[in-house]
Amino acid sequence: MYKKTYLFILSLLVIGQFNLKGYSFPQLEEFVAKHSGKPVNCAMCHANDTGPTGNDLGQLGHMTVAEMARVNIARLAMQPGQKVDSPILNRFGNHIVETVGMQKLITLIAQPQDLATALGNKSDLDGDGIADSEEYLDGTDPLNRFNGDPLKLFKINLSRNLLVIGIITAALGLLVFGLAQVIQGFKIIETLETQAVKDKD
Amino acid sequence: MISNNKVFSFLQERFPVEKLFIFELFEHKIVPVHKASWGYYTGGLTFLFFVIQVITGIFLLFYYEPTISDANLSVENLALNINGGFFMHNLHTWSSSLMILCGMIHFLATFAMKAFEKPREFTWITGILLLGVTFTLGFTGYLLPWNQIAVNATKVGLQSVQSVGQLLPGVLAQIPKTIVTTFQGGDEVGQPTLSRFYVLHVVFLPLAVLLIVSVHLLLVQLHGISKGSDEIPKRFEKFFPEFILKDFIAWSIAFLMVFILAVGLPFEAFLPYPLLEPFNALGATPAGIKPEWYFYFVYYPLELLPFPVLVILSLIVMAILIFTPWIFKNTSRKVLTYIAIAMGLYLFTVTVFGQQIYSMIKPGGG
Repeated sequence: MYKKTYLFILSLLVIGQFNLKGYSFPQLEEFVAKHSGKPVNCAMCHANDTGPTGNDLGQLGHMTVAEMARVNIARLAMQPGQKVDSPILNRFGNHIVETVGMQKLITLIAQPQDLATALGNKSDLDGDGIADSEEYLDGTDPLNRFNGDPLKLFKINLSRNLLVIGIITAALGLLVFGLAQVIQGFKIIETLETQAVKDKD
Repeated sequence: MISNNKVFSFLQERFPVEKLFIFELFEHKIVPVHKASWGYYTGGLTFLFFVIQVITGIFLLFYYEPTISDANLSVENLALNINGGFFMHNLHTWSSSLMILCGMIHFLATFAMKAFEKPREFTWITGILLLGVTFTLGFTGYLLPWNQIAVNATKVGLQSVQSVGQLLPGVLAQIPKTIVTTFQGGDEVGQPTLSRFYVLHVVFLPLAVLLIVSVHLLLVQLHGISKGSDEIPKRFEKFFPEFILKDFIAWSIAFLMVFILAVGLPFEAFLPYPLLEPFNALGATPAGIKPEWYFYFVYYPLELLPFPVLVILSLIVMAILIFTPWIFKNTSRKVLTYIAIAMGLYLFTVTVFGQQIYSMIKPGGG
C-alpha cells in the first residue's frame, strides 16, 4: 500500500516537471491528416484546438490545482480500463486513454494507424452511426454527429429514417393525385360549360 | 348546370378572379412542346426552393441570435437541442444550394432557348438581377453561423471587392472601399458586419427577390412562354391544366429529393471539422478556407489569374449578360445552345474539378 502511494507521489512529481508543457501526440494528428487528406487539428482529442500548451481555456496554463490533479491522473493511467476525465482532453481524448491506456498510446506514436484497431469498432461517442475508430481514420469529428464521411452518414441516416421518407413519399404522391383530380374536375366543368353554350345556341 | 351551383356562385361573386387581366392570360397561356421543353420547368423549381428557404428561414429566426458571441452557439443549440432544428437548418442550407443550381440551369436554358428575344428583354434583365440577388443571399447567409470558414471566407470575399479599387483611377478608386466599409460596418469583419449581413439576408434580399420575381413573372405572363426553338413547335399544350400538373409533379419530386437530403446528409459533412469551429479572432486562419461551391467559378480564376485580368473579364461578362438581348439578337438558337453548353461545361469543370486543376497549376497551394 505504502509502496503504491510512494510511486504515485513520485510519478506526480516527475510529471510535474512537464506540467506546463504540452503532453500531446501530434504524430496521430499528422497521420490522420495524411491518411484522410483532410485538414485536422488538436480539437480531435483536445479541449483546445491548438493543443494542451498555453494559457487559454482547456490548456495547462489555465488549470486549477484540482483540474491539474485530474490531468495527472490521466497521465498516470498506464493500463486500459481506468476512468479518466482530463480537462485538457475532450471526450474522445479521454476515451482513447481509457480504452488503450497511456503505456500503449505512447507506443502507438510510431504506428498511428494501429490506434483505430486498438480502439475497436464498438464505441460511437456522437451516436452518428460511424464508429469512433472509423472517424479517426476518416479525419472527421467523433464528437459531432453531423460531421462524418458524407456517404456513410447518408446511408446510415437513410436507414434510420426510412419510415419518415416513406410517409412523405406517400403524402406527396397523394397530393399530386389529388391535384390531378381537381384539375381534371376543372376540365370537366369547362367541357360541360362549352356544351351548355352550344346547346343553348 | 355546375355554374348554377350555389357554392360556386357564392365564391365567384366574392372573388371575381375572372376580372383580373392576369387570370385571362393564365387561362389562354400555351406552352410549346419540343426537345428543350424541360427548360421551362427550371424557373418554377428555382422558385420552389426559394419558398422552402423562406419557410425554413422563418423557423430558424426563432432560435438564431445575430451576435458574434452567440451566433455559433445558437446554431449549435438549434441542431442539438431543438426538435426538428437540425432538419430545418439542413433543409434551409440544401435548398439554398439547389436554388442557386436551378437558377444557373434556368439561366443557361433560357439563354439557349433565346428566351430574351424581343419583346422579352426586360424579362431577361430581371432574371439576371434575380440571379445576382440569389448569389448575394448565399454570400450573406454564409456568414451567419459565425464559424471559421464563414468569417474567413467572407473576409476573403470582401477583400477581393476592396482590391478592385487599386485598378480604378482617381475618385473611382475609393468606391469599392466605400462599398465594403458600408457592408462591413467598420474596418474589419465583426459585430456590425454580422448585424448588417443578417438584416440583408432576412429582410432586404428576400423582399428584393419577391419584388423582382413578381415583375419577372408578370412579364412572363404578359409575353407568354417563349417558343424556345428555331423551328415552329409542332405541338403546344395548355398551361392550365397540362403544364401546371407536370410542374406540380416536378415540384413534388424536387421536394422529395431535398427532403431526403435534409434528413440524410448534413450539408456540413462536406467540410473539415476545424472549419466548423466557432470563429476565433485571435487564432490563426485554418487551412482550406474556400467560399461556398457556387462561387468556385470566380474563386479559382481569382486564385490563378492576375487580379486585373479577372476584374476586366468579370466586367466584360457582366456587360454581356445585361446586354445579351441586343448582342445576340441575330444569333441562331443552335449557336446559343453551343455557347450555353460551353458555359455549362466551364461551370461544371471549375466547380467539380477546380481544386485538382488548381493543385496541378500551383502545386502546394491552397
